[in-house]
Amino acid sequence: MKNFIKISLFALASVSTSILAAGGGEILPNDNMPSYSDHRLSVSMQNGMQIYMNNCMGCHSLEFQRYNRAAKDLDIPEKLVVENLMFTGEKIGDLMTNNMPAAAAEKWFGTAPPDLSLIARSRNPHWLYNYLRSFYKDDARPYGMNNTVFKDVGMPHALQALQGIQDKTDEVKSLENDIAYAEGDIAAARQAIKDGGKKGEQNKKIADAEKIVHEHKDTLKKLSKEGKYFVLIKEGELSPKDFDSAMVDLVNFLEYVGEPIKRERKAMGVYVLLFILFFTAVAYLLKKEYWKDVKKND
Amino acid sequence: MSQFMQWIDDRFPATKVWNEHLAQYYAPKNFNFWYFFGSLALLVLVNQILTGIWLTMNYTPTGEGAYASVEFIMRDVEWGWLLRYMHGVGASAFFVVVYMHMFRGLLYGSFRKPRELVWIFGMIIFVLLMAEGFMGYLLPWGNMSYWGAQVIINLFSAVPVVGEDLAVWIRGDFIISGATLNRFFALHVVALPMALLLMVFLHIVALHKVGSNNPDGVDIKKLKDGNGIPKDGIAFHPYYTVKDIVAVGVFLFLFCWIIFFAPEMGGYFFEPPNFTPADPLKTPEHIAPVWYFTPYYSVLKAVPNQGLGVIAMAASLVILFFLPWLDRSPVLSIRYKSSIYTWALMLFVVAFFILGYLGMKAPSEGRTLVARICTIYYFAFFVGMPWWSRWGKTKPVPTRVNYK
Repeated sequence: MKNFIKISLFALASVSTSILAAGGGEILPNDNMPSYSDHRLSVSMQNGMQIYMNNCMGCHSLEFQRYNRAAKDLDIPEKLVVENLMFTGEKIGDLMTNNMPAAAAEKWFGTAPPDLSLIARSRNPHWLYNYLRSFYKDDARPYGMNNTVFKDVGMPHALQALQGIQDKTDEVKSLENDIAYAEGDIAAARQAIKDGGKKGEQNKKIADAEKIVHEHKDTLKKLSKEGKYFVLIKEGELSPKDFDSAMVDLVNFLEYVGEPIKRERKAMGVYVLLFILFFTAVAYLLKKEYWKDVKKND
Repeated sequence: MSQFMQWIDDRFPATKVWNEHLAQYYAPKNFNFWYFFGSLALLVLVNQILTGIWLTMNYTPTGEGAYASVEFIMRDVEWGWLLRYMHGVGASAFFVVVYMHMFRGLLYGSFRKPRELVWIFGMIIFVLLMAEGFMGYLLPWGNMSYWGAQVIINLFSAVPVVGEDLAVWIRGDFIISGATLNRFFALHVVALPMALLLMVFLHIVALHKVGSNNPDGVDIKKLKDGNGIPKDGIAFHPYYTVKDIVAVGVFLFLFCWIIFFAPEMGGYFFEPPNFTPADPLKTPEHIAPVWYFTPYYSVLKAVPNQGLGVIAMAASLVILFFLPWLDRSPVLSIRYKSSIYTWALMLFVVAFFILGYLGMKAPSEGRTLVARICTIYYFAFFVGMPWWSRWGKTKPVPTRVNYK
């Protein structure tokens, strides 16, 4: 019997480990976003809302979010919101929609800019934080910019004025070039085997190339960690440090919009659990009292 | 008061029912941890029905309005977020509890004679629950709702000859559409809950007719005292009601911890792609059913031929119905069965978990191989049971239950 409980717990533990390991995925850069709480978080969300209204709202609506709910939850006086964050005569109780013509937008960008009410839930804050900081110069793209986290994204670099323009460093470019060649070698060798080439020889080629790919990818990760993935080639209004901090604010705001109740529910949860703990303790004592009557086998 | 009860009892057997099912229903006194999950399942059922009723008050069952109405519930309905999380997390909790409850049966032979019908009614409940889960999952009308339903309904088109027509008949359309959503809504909130309640009623009536089994597999009715009360039995109420309340406390602690601190459960209770609206033109990168379906989904994927895969998946459920006649061991409880049973069952649990895990993952050569091995073991466990359950030496069963 004991074995069973042990085994079940072990099985549960391994499943939950896999749950924790899930998500994330391989993105570069893969920087961690600093996490704020309490007042610092409110200030960050407020700033995030300001950035959003000034830079994003024109294309991306937040169709499930109401202005006054945001004002209330983010501790911004409604008057300030009306005067500074609402530009086209909406009422404070309105949903945060915009007038982007979807059909035309699809023509302009290849796909209509999505509503972002739930973007922090369908993606995740970590992904958003890295995505927003990963636009780089790529002349092959229609708007001259690409993104390492979301390859060939239709969106232009809307925050270019703030961030400036960054490019991949020479080291990164050369590593990526080598990876592309190595992957080409692998494909060629596989084809050669299919066409009746010598297996041993080709397999060695594959192994060598895979080793290069593996090592180079590790180096890329290392470079990204050291902040040597991108280099700024044109300065923006904000220093790189300030831009990162602004993106933290923007993501915090989007995380709020994704689930406005989130902070409140966590605060509430503590009391709920404390009550249940108390309830369970009382129930346990009650059970003990009743079960005094239940005798051992006679 | 007694006069009032008398008045009632003359017209309706209130006291009689109360005594028969609670105050004078004698259950073995040696129930352990595994015996909490029946009453917990009842608790979750009530939770699902109540939160479900309140959710329907603001939910719009149309392709145009469903997704927005769910967000309306999350944001504009007072406590709507709590109702939704209780319902969504409750669905997963239901399966956790029911799986534990079924496993208890496997441990102590609770499905054996004379409890065959208890088991069969229970299995019907399990199948109804799967239908509830599947149809409920379409209702938020997120992209994973849409594509999950797409994949599962397409399975029916693998049925020979009538397959395509069958799939159209289920969908009510040639693709998943508002028509599908509406009928799933009707089934999810009216038809299936009614069937579920009826089966739960029958499950309990059948159980109370034959009496509860226990971890020793001893029939307590064989040894009664002068008043005709089993010597090893205690009244369900108050002894097991107060005991179950403690379990309710522990359960609610875990349940509320998830609801208030991690309602998405890392994407396993609420999947990230479901926070984008249903889009027939945008397939999610990786479609996987919710975790409680994944073991059977793995069985399906393990079979190379789709039609046979569907049959295998159905068989993996159907075979469970026959369990009462498959187990031929002379004793009920794992405590007195030979160690062969212990090992076979442990392996079964491992295989089941592995199948569940693989069902969530994208297939690869290695994974498919492992899934095939586990699938073969899954079926071998049941199909071979009439033989292997008789092997080995059983331990002597005591006349009284073990109670320390």
